[in-house]
Amino acid sequence: MRFMVIVKAGKDCEAGKLPSKEFMAAMGKYNEELAKAGVLLALEGLAPMSEGARVKFASKKPVVTDGPFPESKELVGGFWLWKCNSKQEAIEWLKRAPFEDAEIELRQVHEPEDFAENFTRALREQEPRARETAEARP
Amino acid sequence: MRFMVIVKASKNSEAGMMPSEKLLAEMGKFNEELTKAGVMLAAEGLQASSNGARVKFSGNKRTVIDGPFAETKELVAGFWIWQCKSLKEAIDWVKRCPNPMPGEEAEIEIRQVFEAEDFAAKFAPEHRKEAERIYKQSSRQQ
Repeated sequence: MRFMVIVKAGKDCEAGKLPSKEFMAAMGKYNEELAKAGVLLALEGLAPMSEGARVKFASKKPVVTDGPFPESKELVGGFWLWKCNSKQEAIEWLKRAPFEDAEIELRQVHEPEDFAENFTRALREQEPRARETAEARP
Repeated sequence: MRFMVIVKASKNSEAGMMPSEKLLAEMGKFNEELTKAGVMLAAEGLQASSNGARVKFSGNKRTVIDGPFAETKELVAGFWIWQCKSLKEAIDWVKRCPNPMPGEEAEIEIRQVFEAEDFAAKFAPEHRKEAERIYKQSSRQQ
């Protein structure tokens, strides 16, 4: 099973404030442990929303709005992708993260089998091909 | 530049409703175009938040809260990672995306992914090399 572990963007993060050296070191050590255990698949941090945009699909034409969005409490600040045997295992790993004041969300990632019912044979062939091409890139 | 393109959840996605065959076909075509253009780096869909959990950190205390979570429109339903030359290019690609939540209002958020150099650029010039090294080490970027 794969899980997406979502770190919310705090006020500091959105203001472009950097984490302390101590926190970065603790996070480095934690990521090392995740990698050694074969849990870590990917991780990324995101730039503040002021450098992003939103696109709304309500009518025929998509509507673009530039960031920042001060009213938003649930912005993504960064994420990991993990491979775990169960949700419980993912929770146990998450509890060991070096956060002091945060709320982290754990979400199960869909596997191609989940779409089986509506996945026509043509799409099944298309998807791995797209993935292979994407993964072949450095 | 890399961008994370986040599809926000809707009432239907949170109810565990799977995309129709029509949407899967349209999305498959769009993904193939992204791949051909060298834009596509990764794509994932998430299960409803009812299969998820949150962990609250407060000092040494950890509290686990099981899903589902109420603020549907702020939840992530899926995402892509794209390689684009600018935010404008990413926006133009999103505009071509089929509505990911047919029959409902959908929102897609485009966010720039942090590279080690972006992190280092926030420091004084004499500390940039060190900052880049620390970032790469902590995020395991090579």
